[in-house]
Amino acid sequence: MREITEEIRQEIQDMVLDYYADECEVDRDEITMESNPQEDLGSDSLMFVELIEMTAEKYDLDVKLQSIGKYMLKSPMDTMKDVIDMICKIYQYGNDIVNL
Amino acid sequence: MSTFRRAFLFNGIGTKPEKLLNVMTPQMLEKFLSYQHDEFRRLGLSEDLSENAPMDRIAAEWLISLISDRVVYEHYIENGIIPDIGMGHSSGIVSISACFGAVSHEFAHEIIMMNRATMRSLSESGEKQDMGTIIGMSIDDVNELIAEKHFSADDVMVGSANSRICTMISGREDKVTELLDAAQEAGAIKVIPFKIGLAYHHPIIAKHSDEYVRFCGSGEYHAPEYPVLSIFDGRIMTDGEDLKKENQINILNPIRWDLALKKLEELGVTEFYDVSANGAIGKFSRINKRKGRIYTFDEI
Repeated sequence: MREITEEIRQEIQDMVLDYYADECEVDRDEITMESNPQEDLGSDSLMFVELIEMTAEKYDLDVKLQSIGKYMLKSPMDTMKDVIDMICKIYQYGNDIVNL
Repeated sequence: MSTFRRAFLFNGIGTKPEKLLNVMTPQMLEKFLSYQHDEFRRLGLSEDLSENAPMDRIAAEWLISLISDRVVYEHYIENGIIPDIGMGHSSGIVSISACFGAVSHEFAHEIIMMNRATMRSLSESGEKQDMGTIIGMSIDDVNELIAEKHFSADDVMVGSANSRICTMISGREDKVTELLDAAQEAGAIKVIPFKIGLAYHHPIIAKHSDEYVRFCGSGEYHAPEYPVLSIFDGRIMTDGEDLKKENQINILNPIRWDLALKKLEELGVTEFYDVSANGAIGKFSRINKRKGRIYTFDEI
């Protein structure tokens, strides 16, 4: 497991919020932790996959989409907080996320 | 220097009308409504979609996608963005045939209307078909799953390899559902059943689509103004006869959108223009972002 510092967690949060603000063409200030990515921001699963790929490249992670997909069955994402938590877990656990 | 730098990408049907119309500029919307008014009147459709009979309503929604493509295409041309080549995904082939001048827009719309004959034939047969999309799996992942779960290609198969993270499947309704469930279980990020009642891009639709295929071949086809890349075998098509064949084989054959995009990159294309108003095609297409970029109409 990779350690995650407060600094990295904040960096991930900024990255995720900037990404959704940009892709969904909304002001970042309008996005709250309770915003539903699909219903409130109009995002979709392809957008989420791109975020995963961006994260993997940024932090040099080797992670399979299917490992994340299996984890998502146990832990669905309804809010932006869920998305940020998911990306933090991907950073920490990589493919082992499937075993959580 | 490459002859091909700019490619126009045309999406197929399936996007909800409001998603296309809500993003248009007032001028584009005005043009859209004028085209729609003329064509719906000519084809006997109501512009109030709910007033149409069920199959007419589906065809009307699909026509809206084509008319929207035409408006976006003309927007690019009016702004000096001229394609070197183009490519259409599924019924995007019908759309590109019209926009690139191989057939009239009227004939293209009549092709779309002919889908009703396929729907009628299927409905009378009682056969249940469907399609679906698997997000987070490549064609290889899906084919592996098909083999692992012992699905027969006669029942369900990959209808379009869109990219390494997006694969469309097509076949018998019950088998499509089973394969989507299996993909979800195997870690797909998301699975989406189309619930469209048709298995486009699978050979099982052939026995219901004679009338459609015949109609595609009945029109007058001219050489397109710009070359079109085949999504079936990567050929560069430059005459009307090629486009006619492409339209005739379209709904019966699986698509390799992923390979066709790669071919465009190999030809030197670096600028990809999404002709769907809501940027739908750019979302599922994957290009090498270090070398190229996909543009939408609102970025020019």
